[in-house]
Amino acid sequence: MAQIELKDVSKVYTLGDTVINAVEDVSLGIEKGEFISIIGHSGSGKTSLLSIIGGILSPSSGRLLFGGTDIYALDETGLAAYRADSVGYIFQFASLLPVLTAKENLLLPTIFSSQRPSNSGKKAEEYLDMVGLKDKINAYPAQLSGGQQRRIAIARALMNDPEILLADEPTGDLDEETEADVMDFLKRINSEKGITFILVTHSSELARGATRRIRMTQGRIEEIGS
Amino acid sequence: MKFSIFKVALRNLKRNAFRTAVLVFSIGLLVSILVFGSSFILSVGSSLERASARLGADILVVPVGAREYAEEMLLETKVKTFYMDKGLMDRVGQVEGVTEITYQTYLETIWGVCCDVPPAKVVAFDQDTDFIVRPWLKEALGRELKKGEAILGHTAYTDLDLLEVDSSVLFGAKFDIVGVLEETGTGLDNAIFITDANIDKIIEKGKSRLKPNQISLMFVKVKEGLDPYPIGAKIESEVVEVDVIQRSEMGESIIATLKDINRIFLITIVLASVLSMFLTWTIFTAIVNERAREVGIMRAIGAKGSHIVGMFMIEVFLLGFMGSVFGIALGNYLSLTLSEVFTLLRDMAATLTLVERIEVSLLGLAVGVGICVVGALSSIIRIKRLEPLTVLKEV
Repeated sequence: MAQIELKDVSKVYTLGDTVINAVEDVSLGIEKGEFISIIGHSGSGKTSLLSIIGGILSPSSGRLLFGGTDIYALDETGLAAYRADSVGYIFQFASLLPVLTAKENLLLPTIFSSQRPSNSGKKAEEYLDMVGLKDKINAYPAQLSGGQQRRIAIARALMNDPEILLADEPTGDLDEETEADVMDFLKRINSEKGITFILVTHSSELARGATRRIRMTQGRIEEIGS
Repeated sequence: MKFSIFKVALRNLKRNAFRTAVLVFSIGLLVSILVFGSSFILSVGSSLERASARLGADILVVPVGAREYAEEMLLETKVKTFYMDKGLMDRVGQVEGVTEITYQTYLETIWGVCCDVPPAKVVAFDQDTDFIVRPWLKEALGRELKKGEAILGHTAYTDLDLLEVDSSVLFGAKFDIVGVLEETGTGLDNAIFITDANIDKIIEKGKSRLKPNQISLMFVKVKEGLDPYPIGAKIESEVVEVDVIQRSEMGESIIATLKDINRIFLITIVLASVLSMFLTWTIFTAIVNERAREVGIMRAIGAKGSHIVGMFMIEVFLLGFMGSVFGIALGNYLSLTLSEVFTLLRDMAATLTLVERIEVSLLGLAVGVGICVVGALSSIIRIKRLEPLTVLKEV
């Protein structure tokens, strides 16, 4: 059984008289530890599909199964627990809370987790060290560069030891050198920790490193190889 | 402090210190109006109630036309003298239903003319029949008051500069000051009490306008279970030289004024509450919109709706609490310092007990926090109900 199964998933937005099929009849199985890249043009439905997998956007129809559990059939507590404990999400925009320090931003998801570890402070420091920002432990996001903020967001996504890591254009606003560093780091996490990694990007070059590549066009998917 | 949603809320409050201060200040102003107004009304009302209860009589009998003077004398700090013939006591005592009767005689001091003290009221009471002063006397002195002795009301002790004085000349006669009565919250707190046994000597000295066999007021108790109203009416019809004041009717004119003040105060509070609620709603709508993306991120990384509501509620509670504490301090300060400005408070020597002040403060706290919660609730519920990605896309 696949770790993640999407069964006839559709997402329809209605804007006045206009109906937009963001995701249309997508069925997909993802095995544990896979590194999947999803590419496509803007508006092709990549982010919507990733959000559905991440439990932050309910589909209009179809089912998302995680370990056999229909995620969107869960109540609010169950769905929040899925997002907190099973998924790590890296957004395409700066997503750190400005009022919290780097370390506190890392600790934020732990207060939502059902298995809040007692050593979360130490773990946050280790992750900051791992992303090369141990010296920025008490820095606020406004005191960090875009690349540093992105690395902290990645570390935050790993804090609750998720089973799936979802990254939406994680290197979108980074220079080439930082982009390479971040991608190397994510691939290392995927291979070392066995975390399933789904990457949404418009860059064919970034997608090339994945074990499986999927292209989205007008809400539909086609596999383009590995 | 361990990292928690409480810490996130605290940081959010510090984020825009000016906006937080504006909200705290506006809630504080509302609560201060509430505390000040409630203190005013409650202190006057309580003072009336205490005065009425302290008197311990069902009916007060005064010379015809002296009702107002008697109320001013007993309920307020004013000094009034009015007299009637002592012989009327026998006639009042014979009215059916009257079980106990005592009297008091009121004198007014004139500094340098008759007495060593500034204008004050002197109350002469009959120790044999008295049931008004004796209970306090027993507490303060532990024995009966002797001829040539005076005991001071609580306020008279400080107001008449008699703090270090062992004796004083009143109406040409020397009196030993033997103690101070406990505070009663009535107009008798600023009186000097002597026994009726001194009256003959005072009259003899000729320093007062009191004539032999004159008294000011009779206190009447009626038989238990009987309605004092018909008995009072009977006294008035059988003894035409007197007027009757029922205990339950004491301070009626003050109560009527108090009701009007209460209405004005209520309207002011309702309007101020609506204004504060609207301000809270406006500010929290702005806060929630401004932080919609952060809420979306928090939801996406695992926050439940209850975490979001909890975070905002902590902020609301802290704002309401800070505003209320500020308002309680300001309201109490105003009520204490401005009590001399308001004639009603000054004349009645109306004050609040510690328990009453705590009750008013708790009311202020509940209203301040409550208004903050109600004002912010709709914005918080709206953001809580949105799906994480919808919140993120709204920005």
